[in-house]
Amino acid sequence: MKFSIKLVLSTMIVLALALGFSGFYFVNYVFETSLDREVGQSLDESSILSFAFETAALNVPLKYSVLPDSVVEEIASKLEMGGQGGGRLLRIADEEKNVLYTSGGFTADEGLLPQTDEHTKSYRVIRAQDSFYVHTCVSINALNRILYLETMKDVTGVFTERAMGFSLYRKVTVVILLTGTVIMLFIASLLTKPIRLLTKATREMAAGDYTYRARQISRDELGQLTGDFNRMANALEENICKLEEEIEAREEFMGAFAHELKTPLTAIIGYADMLRSHKLDEEKSIMSANYIYTEGKRLEAMSFRLLDIIVAKQDEAQMQETQVGELFAYLREMFAEKKDMDIRFTHEDAVVRMEANLIKTVLVNLIDNACKASETSAVSEAGVVEVSGQTVDGGYRIAVRDYGIGIPEAEQSKIVKAFYMVDKSRARSKNGAGLGLALCAEILKIHHSRLQIESKEGEGSCFSFILAHSGGMD
Amino acid sequence: MIKILIVDDEKPICDLIDLNLTSAGYHCTAVQDGLEAIDLIEKEEFELVLLDIMLPGADGYDVMEYIRPLGIPVIFITAKHEVKHRVKGLKLGADDYLVKPFDVVELVARVEAVLRRYNKAEAHLTAGDVTVDVDARRVTKAGRPVELTNKEFGLLLLFMKNKNVALFRETLYEKVWEGEYFADSRTLDLHVQRLRKKLGWEHNLVAVYKVGYRLEVQE
Repeated sequence: MKFSIKLVLSTMIVLALALGFSGFYFVNYVFETSLDREVGQSLDESSILSFAFETAALNVPLKYSVLPDSVVEEIASKLEMGGQGGGRLLRIADEEKNVLYTSGGFTADEGLLPQTDEHTKSYRVIRAQDSFYVHTCVSINALNRILYLETMKDVTGVFTERAMGFSLYRKVTVVILLTGTVIMLFIASLLTKPIRLLTKATREMAAGDYTYRARQISRDELGQLTGDFNRMANALEENICKLEEEIEAREEFMGAFAHELKTPLTAIIGYADMLRSHKLDEEKSIMSANYIYTEGKRLEAMSFRLLDIIVAKQDEAQMQETQVGELFAYLREMFAEKKDMDIRFTHEDAVVRMEANLIKTVLVNLIDNACKASETSAVSEAGVVEVSGQTVDGGYRIAVRDYGIGIPEAEQSKIVKAFYMVDKSRARSKNGAGLGLALCAEILKIHHSRLQIESKEGEGSCFSFILAHSGGMD
Repeated sequence: MIKILIVDDEKPICDLIDLNLTSAGYHCTAVQDGLEAIDLIEKEEFELVLLDIMLPGADGYDVMEYIRPLGIPVIFITAKHEVKHRVKGLKLGADDYLVKPFDVVELVARVEAVLRRYNKAEAHLTAGDVTVDVDARRVTKAGRPVELTNKEFGLLLLFMKNKNVALFRETLYEKVWEGEYFADSRTLDLHVQRLRKKLGWEHNLVAVYKVGYRLEVQE
């Protein structure tokens, strides 16, 4: 059953019970007061009658020492006639409770007589056919005799009033309940709207639309729930986006890897096949063997680089305090043989916490790239590569700047991806696998740093990264 | 002579295809750039283009878009082996799809198949004084017809198309019998002997140790 229906039903049940109970109580209260009043009146009347009887008995001739039955009947008949409109209903009994006189229409039984003695009055409400009566009984003390006077008073009106009151109340209750149901339905639908909106949002999200959000329309607990739900959805969407990106990156990597793997493999397999099945002349044999060799080398370089990346990803690097001077001395020595390039090293002395071998790999890669980019450049400073180290806010910045061909802006964000090459055919001819910058990015990630690239096509590029000062990290 | 354009950004692959197709009797031109390929197609006439997908300049799909209205058959040669890539290539109008790394024999066979579909293949193959009319399945030696069984004819075609190439027993078996090769099967040797006898090729169809057979002819 729907929650709003439950809400309406339970409210209606409570309302119906409350209305029924209070209505019953109220109508009954009115009825009982009226009845009490009638009873009171009846008793008063019977008292008056008994008094009148006694007064009438005083006028009895003195010859009787005891009131004779005939006089009783006479007085009773006078009293019966004395009532307004149609006469009273009364009955008179003697000491032994034998009926002496009964007026016409007095239908009550003699149930009250035994309960009554000369000092008590009694009454009861009786029903005769469709009418209700108050039946009273009082004693009369007249002329040495104790008589009992019974009266009947019609109180059907009170009962009819009660029945009418109940029926009216039922009608009112039904009307109130009906209008109440309509109003409650409206209120319940208003109250449960946040729940419906949340349900819809949940379904949309379950169906895969992670951008869908529930509208917050109240500030109560349900509103809070909606708010919390939306926050959860945000977190979820973010995570899913991240996961999707990761999967995409992995797929891209696998695709690129497969491609990079297959190309040298095709050459190796193809030339090896030619060597074993064709009768090649010497020149072609040497060419084939050479291709097999160079493509094999390419595979080797690629697998080493990949290993480097995997190791860099998995290993906790051993960070050590390192003199920047030592690092630069190593690089200067390493590139001393490269006579065709003018590599200028400048650095400020400092002690930086790093894994020196990995940072050397990064710098060697960057300088190699800078040299490759400079080879075909038309800029006048081409051939100059500046490697500089200086202390900056937050750490030590190492930059490699070249005046080579530069990188188009659209490519800059992609170049750290594995296997990415701006100019594939040119990069391949230099035996690049497109993994260098990906490796650098991994290594710098271990150092909690990242590669910054500024480049303009045709003017050169500057690759830099900042290492935090010793003590400043971890 | 049938002219084929090879477009692949890898020089070694270009050379490999070039060498093999040249020895199969085709004339090949190779370029390593998509835009260059389009330039060449505009200037010269080619009967077939072998096209890589990942290319500098314009990628293979772009080049394909350019070639399609010209009606030149295209075979994609690429490392992308996923079905969606293959479907994309074929939907663009490529005639075939070859995934790297590929067998050289396979390459030659596919090239031949596509050319035959376009009626551009040589209808007559010759080796020495033996001539094969491929469509009519008629073989003549020095002008006299030679009767060959189906399998013998298939074998002969393979040899004729791969002159001076050592063909492996596995390859021969798979191509002609279209079944799996069993190492101890003598069926192939029997058929080769029959072929030698019928064509008088005792010295031309040479057994290559541990490999298979090679048809040796002077060109």
